[in-house]
Amino acid sequence: MNKDKISRREALSTTAKIAIGAGAAIAIAGGVATYFATRAPLVIERVITVEKPVERPKANLLEIYHWWTSGGEAAAINALVEVFSKRYPDVGVIQSPVAGGAGYVLKAVMKAMVAAGEAPDSFQLHAGYEMKPYLDANYLEPIDDLWRNQGWEAVFPDVVKDMVRWGGHYYAVPVNIHRANVLWYNKKILDQHGIDPATLDTWDGFFVAAEKLRREGLQYPIAMGGIGKWEIAHALEQILLSQGVDFYQDLINGKLTDPNDSRLVNALNIFRRYLEYVNPDYASLTWDQAVARVIRGEAAFNIMGDWANGEFLVAGKNYGVDYGSLPVPGTRGVYMLVVDCFQKPRGAKHPENSEKWLIVVGSKEGQDAFNPIKGSIPARLDADITKYGPYQRSAIEDFKNAKYMAPSIVHGSGAPEKFASAFNDISSAFATNRDVSAAARSIINAIQAAKAEYIKEWKLVK
Amino acid sequence: MDRGSLPLIYFFIITLVFAYFFIYGLIGWNALLSFSRSLGLKIAFEISGFEQYLKMIHDPVFWVSIRNNLILISVFIPACIALGLFLAILLDITGGRGEAFFGRLYLLPFSLSFVVTASMWAWMYNYVYGVINTILSILNLNIRVNWLGNPDIALYSIVIVLLWQFSGYACLVILAGIKSIPESQFHAARIDGASTFQVYSRIVLPQIKFWIFSIFVVLMVFALKAFDLIYVLTNGGPGVSTYVLALLMYRRGFFETDFQYGAALANILYVLVMAIVVPYLLITLRKR
Repeated sequence: MNKDKISRREALSTTAKIAIGAGAAIAIAGGVATYFATRAPLVIERVITVEKPVERPKANLLEIYHWWTSGGEAAAINALVEVFSKRYPDVGVIQSPVAGGAGYVLKAVMKAMVAAGEAPDSFQLHAGYEMKPYLDANYLEPIDDLWRNQGWEAVFPDVVKDMVRWGGHYYAVPVNIHRANVLWYNKKILDQHGIDPATLDTWDGFFVAAEKLRREGLQYPIAMGGIGKWEIAHALEQILLSQGVDFYQDLINGKLTDPNDSRLVNALNIFRRYLEYVNPDYASLTWDQAVARVIRGEAAFNIMGDWANGEFLVAGKNYGVDYGSLPVPGTRGVYMLVVDCFQKPRGAKHPENSEKWLIVVGSKEGQDAFNPIKGSIPARLDADITKYGPYQRSAIEDFKNAKYMAPSIVHGSGAPEKFASAFNDISSAFATNRDVSAAARSIINAIQAAKAEYIKEWKLVK
Repeated sequence: MDRGSLPLIYFFIITLVFAYFFIYGLIGWNALLSFSRSLGLKIAFEISGFEQYLKMIHDPVFWVSIRNNLILISVFIPACIALGLFLAILLDITGGRGEAFFGRLYLLPFSLSFVVTASMWAWMYNYVYGVINTILSILNLNIRVNWLGNPDIALYSIVIVLLWQFSGYACLVILAGIKSIPESQFHAARIDGASTFQVYSRIVLPQIKFWIFSIFVVLMVFALKAFDLIYVLTNGGPGVSTYVLALLMYRRGFFETDFQYGAALANILYVLVMAIVVPYLLITLRKR
């Protein structure tokens, strides 16, 4: 509470302090500016010139956006870019990765960029309904010619083709397939407790195993994540699929109207039972932390897409020895699809390069370079199986022999964004209140609310 | 007109262009957007009156968000001011070096980014491994609280994090208010034999009302705008139990490609913030 007047000396020292501060600020700002003016272009240059590091390509560029930023993912896209650069050495490639799991950040960024007329030459997108906003506003160009010239119609399966075809025109090229309906298990734990994985084919068998594990000391045999909500929705989606492909087809076509539909109620009852065996801290775990529990043997089961395989590999586990996988109970013969694709945006600055890129993305060579590293399988049916690891080989087999294929809702393909967004919230709410009839009502209401946006009739069952 | 006013005019024009176009112009554009039909990513305006605002009435999550914003305002702000006041009085009584040291210590959380705070607290709140539940079990309390997983508790868990981050700021402002009271009043009170409690309740509190009011306004705006902290900590979950207006606006706009509805939500948020800021400005101006 000193109220003395500021003496002259103090005032001087204050001025000096301000001057020093301002000087420091200018020095820092100047340093940063100098860095960006001199060094930064060098960094971009290194990215552009994959082949020839000295010669800097001038205007002949290809700019792509994607969300593959983690170690393995980045290596995979680099392998694909390498195939492109070998084939088109005169085109410099600028990759603009935007970090954020499942593209949650890129999705928002890209919508703003495209609407502002700043579309890149191609960007990563989930096939299916995630393309709809861009199509509605006429931001994508049809690429029917490419599909015909490249002979793609013969090599991609029907449902996958349907996911990038709107109103009879092709608008994108799928680059990979991830499978969503996979049940991962810790083989050592199952062996220890004498559980035969073959009994996990039905929900009844699965719950017998879960109960046995609990009785024998593993309190929460199922690991689940949930911090982003979609991890919960992902599990519920696979359970809904287990109620039959015709039911799932009605669901994604927006045809369900009855909240008392026995298949819907059944699925929710199964999920309620499933949740009883789930770790109670799921709301604070990411999907990979949940997988890590299975890896460490703290849980026996986890339902997650087959990107989880990478986590097991990084932890040094062997497929078939330490861990194994099965289709989610009740979904054998069905392949739940998560598909990334690239497309040609209207107004791309280098439209020819965009088409060249798509040719490489859809080529056997490109897909067989990208997918072994990414951990997914090619969207084409003619993959070179020798390049892939043991899990992927079995997945490629399953993919080729799949009786049905189904597009995932949670991963942006099967249903309108509005429903998918509501579905996340509904799943997350159900995980805490376990109210079957309320959840069934909410799902039907969400379908009704998005009614106008169901513009595609999926044909999963022939 | 004399020559000295020329720079003033330049300055005025620059301010007009930058501030008025980039702030008020865009606010106006947002208002226009909110009165037009939902057209996804198409850049076009089709005026549709109050369609977007009517949508809110039928959007259950909108009401949840409003309720949560109100809870944040009515629980977080009084608690934060009370805590700030308590800390400020403690610091004032301590005085000297302790005051300087602890004052800075309390202010530290305020300098952290919300994302950092949220990630850190997400770990502390973890049901199984979190430090808070571990402490509870060490104390043998036999309760494990599902801080972020229980829809009845999650919002209050967020309030605790906000308190941690903002009480230091409230404390600092209130302390500045206490320092502005002339020392002579304290001496006079002491000579008259007033107790410490009487000094603070009778002399200090009435004189720092305005300081508290200014904190109230700042925190109110923060409580209404709360986004990043909640986005990282719960993402609106479990279910929709911790949605707030700003989060809803982001989801509806960018994830469901309904920018017009997002704009309408933004306008509601804007009106709410203005309803607090405008009276504050009026009172401040009248005081002068």
